[in-house]
Amino acid sequence: MERQYWIRSKPIYTSLLWYEKATAHFVIAEGDGGMAVLKLLQQKYPAQIVTGFFAKSSDSLKDYAEIISSLAPDEFTVFSNADETLKALKKSLADCCMGTRFYVAGSENFIWLVAKQLYTFGVQDDDIDKELSGTLARNVYCVHCKAITKNVHHDIASCEGCHRKLFVRDHFSRRLAAYMGIMVDAEQPGALPTINEVYP
Amino acid sequence: MSHLNVKVSDIEQITEYVKHFTFVSEDGENLPSFSGGSHIVLALNINGRIHRNPYSLMSSPLHTESYGVSVRKEEMSRGGSVFMHEKIEVGSRLQITYPVNLFSLSKLGHKSILIAGGIGITPFLSQIVDLNRTQSDYELHYAYRSPEHAAFREKIQDMSGDRSHFYVASDGQIMDFHTLLSEQPLGTHVYACGPEPMVNAMIAAARELGWPEKHIHNEQFTAPQIGDSFKVKLAISNIEIKVPSEMSMLEAIEEAGIDAPYLCRGGACGRCELEVVSCDGSIIHHDNYLTDAEKTGGKKIMPCVSRAKCQNILVNL
Repeated sequence: MERQYWIRSKPIYTSLLWYEKATAHFVIAEGDGGMAVLKLLQQKYPAQIVTGFFAKSSDSLKDYAEIISSLAPDEFTVFSNADETLKALKKSLADCCMGTRFYVAGSENFIWLVAKQLYTFGVQDDDIDKELSGTLARNVYCVHCKAITKNVHHDIASCEGCHRKLFVRDHFSRRLAAYMGIMVDAEQPGALPTINEVYP
Repeated sequence: MSHLNVKVSDIEQITEYVKHFTFVSEDGENLPSFSGGSHIVLALNINGRIHRNPYSLMSSPLHTESYGVSVRKEEMSRGGSVFMHEKIEVGSRLQITYPVNLFSLSKLGHKSILIAGGIGITPFLSQIVDLNRTQSDYELHYAYRSPEHAAFREKIQDMSGDRSHFYVASDGQIMDFHTLLSEQPLGTHVYACGPEPMVNAMIAAARELGWPEKHIHNEQFTAPQIGDSFKVKLAISNIEIKVPSEMSMLEAIEEAGIDAPYLCRGGACGRCELEVVSCDGSIIHHDNYLTDAEKTGGKKIMPCVSRAKCQNILVNL
């Protein structure tokens, strides 16, 4: 986390809100993103067609599948994991038209897997509303050995590829869905600052 | 700003009001490369006063041995287009800027819908070349007043075939933006160039249908308008300049010998933005660049097209 300045590649996540102007709505959520779906369902329901995909996740604190199914059984399809959801999404997107609004909620990893699928259909980052749910854990890309270490909760992470101690930066790659990690003790090997849990 | 010296190699009367000019480099070399949708600014010496007018390049980006622009004669304007129609001949020498593109096709788009009204067709002629070359999916919708104003219709039909659609207002054919923009595949981008009401109607329809802003593009070059004269003070240069009624603020500043920044000269790009320190009247914004909040705020002005209704305005230049 850096203050005084802003890294432009750091994604901005918001709370999901239905768009009033739309021709259709597509909600894609995973695990703890179920809470964001419930919050959407509490808002004034859109006049246009809603399609919802919900992926169960073993990492989530609570399973929202049952509640979502009971509240919006016609609109939402529940999948057992993210992979199945993405496969079904790919099939559905071919039939979507301009004016379809996309709402994505879940872990950061899931959000960007969905975004990457949407890019292949010409849907841009700015066209997608995203709510980060459950955890702030980061995927960290090691600039030295190119390995990605998943689910990092601390400001300094041990690289799973080369075991260097990496300082986790805010620079984010949408293609890799990961933050940049740079060796923190290059000048003085072993001299590490205090390590804090900042991405619970 | 560096300029290119060109001479007019050909002039063609396209319709009653539209002339097409071909420019070649004075030194016989190829002109700089450009992408579809680019424009150049022509410097015209009218009675000792330099007018700078932007025109879209409509020649092929694949053939830079010459540039082509089309000029619609506007009798009720400040004289640049009338000068082009009446005074410029084959062999005339002109100065132009390097091409700048403020109306480029989105590289992320999967399909393009091009919407043109009247002389607004010009930027699309170079874009069509790029779209054909990259074998991209597109539709062109071109509206004009009456059959005799159908500039470049045959050329467009040759280039675009059944991708092109024509709307003749005198025959009661009008574009229905809602239908046009409905049921377009994901990844479609829409581009409009033409009269302001048409462009605004397109934008409104796209927003109503829920199109994201990044997929809606338009180019509206505004010609500087005639208005009341006023005085502008430049805070940094510490001089006072009178802006006559038939001259733009930017032109008046340039004539006073100040090298002010500019790019499009049509209120579109934002390059010439000046900070307003004080103004004892109101600013009359004509640009399409500043947000409504900025216009109301009165702290910024685009001197290429906007004026002030005041005695004195002080700007940071």
